Amino acid sequence: MTNSIGEIRNADCLFVIGSNTTEAHPVLAMEMKRAVLRGAKLIVADPRRIWLAGMADHYLQLNPGTDVALLNGMAHTIIAEGLTDPAFIAQHTEGFEAVKAQVAPWTPERASAVCGVPADDIRAAARLYATTYKAGIYYTLGITEHTHGTDNVYGLSNLVLMTGHLGRESSGMNPLRGQNNVQGANDAGASPIYFPGYQRVVDDDARRRFEAAWGVALDDQPGLNLNQMMKEIRTGGVRGLFVMGEDILVSEPNLNELEKAMPNLEALIVQDIFLNLTAQRADVVFPAACFAEKDGTFTNSERRVQRVREAVAPPGQARPDWQILVDLTARVGYTGNVGMTPSDIYDEMAGLCDKFAGISYARIEAEGGLQWPCPTPDHPGTRFLHREGPLRGKAQFIPVDFRPSVELPDPAWPLLLCTGRTLYHYNAATQTRRDQGVVDKQSACFVEVHPEDASRLGLDDQERVEVRTRRGAIEAAVRLTTRVAPGRIWLPMHFAEARANLLTVDAGDGVTGTAEYKVCAAQLNRLD
Amino acid sequence: MKIHRMHDEPRRREEDRLRLLPAFDAAGGLRPGAAKVVSDATGVPEATAYGVASFYHLLARPDVDVRVCTGLSCRMAGADAALSALQRGGAAVEGCACLGQCDRAPAALQTDPGGGGHFTPLQARRSEAAAAGAGQGAEVWTLAPYGAPHLTPDDAELAINLAGADDLSWAALAQARVEGADAVLQKVDDAKLRGRGGAGFPAGFKWRAVARNADRDPVVICNADEGEPGTFKDREVMAQRPHLMLEGMAIAAHAVGASELVIYLRAEFKAPREALLAAIASARAAGHLDGLSVELALGHGAYICGEETALLEALEGRRGMPRHKPPFPTDSGYLGRPTLMNNVETFACIPAIVRRGGAWFAGLGAGDASGTKLYPISGDVARPGVYELPLGASFETLLAAAGGVTGGALLAFSPGGASSGLLPASMADIALDFGPLQEAGSMLGSAGVVVLNDTRDPLAATLTRARFFREESCGQCAPCRVGTQVLVRLLERMQAAVAAGEALSDSDRAALERVSWQMEEGSICGLGQAAPIPVKHLLRWFT
Amino acid sequence: MPDDVPPGPFPGSAAAPARAAGDGLATLSVVIDGTQVHAAPGETLLQAARRAGVTIPTLCHDERLAPTGACRMCLVESSDSRRMVPACRHPVAEGLEVVTDSARVHRHRQSLLSLYAADAPEGVKPGTELDRHMRTYGLEPGLPQVNAPREGRPDDDNKYVLFQPESCILCARCTRYCDEVEAVAAITLAERGSATTIATADNVSLLDSTCELCGGCIDTCPTGALVERKVAHRQDTFPSLKPVRTTCNYCGVGCQFDLQVDPAANQVVRVTSPAPGTTTNDGNLCVKGRFAYGFIGHPERLTEPLIRDASGELVPTDWDTALQRAADLLTGVRDKFGKDTLGFISSSRCTNEENYLVQKLARAAFGTNNCHQCAAT
Repeated sequence: MTNSIGEIRNADCLFVIGSNTTEAHPVLAMEMKRAVLRGAKLIVADPRRIWLAGMADHYLQLNPGTDVALLNGMAHTIIAEGLTDPAFIAQHTEGFEAVKAQVAPWTPERASAVCGVPADDIRAAARLYATTYKAGIYYTLGITEHTHGTDNVYGLSNLVLMTGHLGRESSGMNPLRGQNNVQGANDAGASPIYFPGYQRVVDDDARRRFEAAWGVALDDQPGLNLNQMMKEIRTGGVRGLFVMGEDILVSEPNLNELEKAMPNLEALIVQDIFLNLTAQRADVVFPAACFAEKDGTFTNSERRVQRVREAVAPPGQARPDWQILVDLTARVGYTGNVGMTPSDIYDEMAGLCDKFAGISYARIEAEGGLQWPCPTPDHPGTRFLHREGPLRGKAQFIPVDFRPSVELPDPAWPLLLCTGRTLYHYNAATQTRRDQGVVDKQSACFVEVHPEDASRLGLDDQERVEVRTRRGAIEAAVRLTTRVAPGRIWLPMHFAEARANLLTVDAGDGVTGTAEYKVCAAQLNRLD
Repeated sequence: MKIHRMHDEPRRREEDRLRLLPAFDAAGGLRPGAAKVVSDATGVPEATAYGVASFYHLLARPDVDVRVCTGLSCRMAGADAALSALQRGGAAVEGCACLGQCDRAPAALQTDPGGGGHFTPLQARRSEAAAAGAGQGAEVWTLAPYGAPHLTPDDAELAINLAGADDLSWAALAQARVEGADAVLQKVDDAKLRGRGGAGFPAGFKWRAVARNADRDPVVICNADEGEPGTFKDREVMAQRPHLMLEGMAIAAHAVGASELVIYLRAEFKAPREALLAAIASARAAGHLDGLSVELALGHGAYICGEETALLEALEGRRGMPRHKPPFPTDSGYLGRPTLMNNVETFACIPAIVRRGGAWFAGLGAGDASGTKLYPISGDVARPGVYELPLGASFETLLAAAGGVTGGALLAFSPGGASSGLLPASMADIALDFGPLQEAGSMLGSAGVVVLNDTRDPLAATLTRARFFREESCGQCAPCRVGTQVLVRLLERMQAAVAAGEALSDSDRAALERVSWQMEEGSICGLGQAAPIPVKHLLRWFT
Repeated sequence: MPDDVPPGPFPGSAAAPARAAGDGLATLSVVIDGTQVHAAPGETLLQAARRAGVTIPTLCHDERLAPTGACRMCLVESSDSRRMVPACRHPVAEGLEVVTDSARVHRHRQSLLSLYAADAPEGVKPGTELDRHMRTYGLEPGLPQVNAPREGRPDDDNKYVLFQPESCILCARCTRYCDEVEAVAAITLAERGSATTIATADNVSLLDSTCELCGGCIDTCPTGALVERKVAHRQDTFPSLKPVRTTCNYCGVGCQFDLQVDPAANQVVRVTSPAPGTTTNDGNLCVKGRFAYGFIGHPERLTEPLIRDASGELVPTDWDTALQRAADLLTGVRDKFGKDTLGFISSSRCTNEENYLVQKLARAAFGTNNCHQCAAT
């Protein structure tokens, strides 16, 4: 997030796209609700009529995977109606002319033909966003989990830049991180292309800095991203896998192919708190401590580094992941971590990353959490980015064109399937399904079906049904609802006995490798 | 396995909140599922809608066929026996707070077939013949239409003159339009008209406060939620002289720059409702209401909504819980707009003031008081009814107009509604005016007078009224909500002590004083602040 | 686009009047208990007093909610009113003289609390706001107990939120929180007078209402009438639990909360949120953060290292054996197929330090950049 969670309540316009905020980020959604109840205007763009759509001033029910068309239509309106911020564009950006040319043919009518949102609604939303001073964009996986996810993000950033909604309070470009420490995992360099602190592995200066600190030579070529690793297991390109805290046999797309390939691995090391599906296939399983049993830090969506503290002792012989990693690294011959505590580890990272250099456990203890960039021990941290203009020189406009999703419905596979999260469970639900209260509220997998489709297929509410795609099939209970539009169905990803990712496609975004969890073609089949 | 409702009930905008209470009428009251229907129709969240409807007894208990008034005058006339006799008859019958028919005691209210917020007031009568047939000891009561009210005879020199004929020409409004708003405001000032709803606030002051906000779309509201026990004067104004009240409102709108009139009428008043609707139609046809909108909104069974800010909450589709002041309604009232709210009788005084001048009106009062006043009187009197006397007339004068005490000698009287308490017979010469009654530790209030002869028990009368406050407290603040319950408990103990031939214990007397102090100091609105007054009177004059 | 657009169209809106107004300049001066205090127009007496370090007790006040002044706890004397005024919603005005410690105010606090005590047939829960006020200000000699006919929801089968009507003082913090912050309006004040209670529509279970089980109602309740059902039986022990401030491990909002630990049992008993206004989550939590902590000490947790034995079964072992087996397997793959046939999947569920160590394991120990984690946004 360029901006902070606490600024949302003071916003005067919220543009929420591809984020079912009340279910995926409930507490942040409370800030949105407060803004709206206070009088802020709300634009919601989502193929599903999500909760926030009910209180929205403009609800844009776009066709799945057509975000670029919608955003280009909005950009067209903003430019055509003279609602841009020319001073900001001139002073802080590059490449506006290319975007202007790119969106020129994308009239709201043409955009409407692709994305299904009435042209006047596209215009109204564009005007509202462009002409409100404190207007922020909030998005999450509905934007990124597409083969054109990066294009979607560029489409949004073009809107931000042409209207100058950057570097001021309650505005900006705000991806909401799906997991507790997505931000921190990226910050800490769990990336094939970045060292910690977003320093590129191909950058010689950066690499020399880490080589000097760690006392070893480092690879100067980018590694495989997750999506590529999963595919390389099939081809033998990956033979050994270390997995910490993820159940890849639930959370990765197109699981049947991955499961078939798992025997190709000669080494599978898993550390987790439960014996999940992946751990059941492992050669070695390390019992880990959960968040309540260890010390450390998480970094939230607004770049705030906060403490995790040991409240209870881990069960049995379980140990914190950091301790296991220190020991394992020593066993494979690298002893540079021996004897370090979490605080020491953070200090080593902060010493190598200018963005975090001013952050320490002592300061977090005293100040309760610090937002990077925080370059020096006396720096207060940064509430919103780009206050003095874009961080690195001029911000780039990047023209994007609409590309359809890789697998769309056809007569044999007539329904468009989207997957996502619910309020009551979390990811593979290894944690949440071990608490009866949420299980009571939501006990088993369901598939949302529009009553028109259900009636055509002869399906009743609550009836168990097969959901099938070209890659696999699961069973789920039908939930009749008008949240989904006719012709579309939606499944939660949480249920191990009905893994949504047996169905999804593993085509990834060209830049990030993120898979297209949000769109594929499916059938619903009666079980009798 | 039970499938629970899921996260798909979005918060909607309350676009139709003002229709919330009428929508419950249409749904047949608060039945299972009604809140959902109303929520879908109005955009108000389901639980919120439920919470609102549950506040109002006429909605919350839709299956009651008959309600029997348990007010003081009605209990003195046998309401308890009527209630149990009618309950034995098999219909759904329950007691209720004052129905504003103390002159027809014991009063009852029958739910009309089909409901929909329509009720018919009736009088309960003991049937001697049937009682004989039903066996020893079992009384039989039936419900019957009531007779014509006792009123002061026609007299053109009275400001209101209930027995007179309505002036269908609305000459006073025409005159006000000619003379202009400033002249009207001056006349109201000159009349020294004090509000007839209970607080006695100078009307001219209120009107000028709203007129200063004329640029913010003010609204004129008539408080016709007459519910103060012992009070039924507004009922007769609306039934007898609906044009007078409407004309007064129209003049007020002209004076303060408003174009919207709202009347909040208690739904229990059938004849006034019919008279008002007919008068509105005829005035509309005659062109008197050109440029003015008139809305007749109905109450749903909550005494507290007679309090002006609780009334505003009800009009806005909320629970009738009084607001804090400031802001005062003259600045921010109905929907945040400047609001002129007066009582029925107050508005009914206006046409005469405009026609005959403020000084004329001021001169009508007794002593320093100004104007005539409608005094409803009931209980142990020969001709319970509504009498128009000079404001400040003595209780004795009023009693004489009503034909004197019946059933014994005068023991006590309640001069102005439930919270005015009981004054002893020795104070019968007191002037029924704001100042003198306040000095005596009582109040004129709505001037609903109840007379007790010497066969009555003042403790029982006080307990009746304490229970009334407990039932009618809105429940918002603890001093009132809990305090009224504590008062009832202490009075019940006192009753038990008296029955056992003992006196109230010192600790209970001290507790009564402490809780009374807290209710007066801590309560948000007048209900809780004034509820302990009857107890004080009891301790002072009748123990 | 012009830069001089005013900062927001709704400066004095009802939802957050105090806070919005509090951002203004302190241009007024009031006297509180003899001390001059500067205040901004639109501020309340309570805000000014708290800034001046003057304690005014409250019950129905929650910074996140529009003040109602209903509980009457904060009544003080103010020179602009004959009656005492609720400090939580009475606006400051130039020259106002406010007294919070007079005999009248003190008598009021005692006699009001005595009414609350008279309305608490089961007694007052220890450690709650109401209990603390009673200990601080004392009670008057006993009033008779009343037995208000407040209905609960005995058939509500949700596992998380328990409403105990006998302990409720109807401050409406729960219903206002549900309406103004969580905005699902699942609960409401219902009935009236002594029968007033907290209800759902038609008194259905919270599971069948619009409730999202965020538990904010429990957190804001000043009397313990709302409590975590799982641990309601030990509500009396709450004051003795040890709070450990930490960060929620579910989504990326980073809510701070306190794990309330029973150290003797090595057990997290309940989860509470920090005071409003002190952390990013402003005192709020969601159903997962507040309630779904049953996994922490769950019997299915992994408690010992496992390795695959000769027969292909996963069997328990000791740490030394497991670490050595893992090291041998990874170095074996490297030596046989090359370093870039190793993949390291780190976790956005784990700490910064652990992610740092995983990438360091990949890069420093094995020389490969094949390190990633599931992090799409």
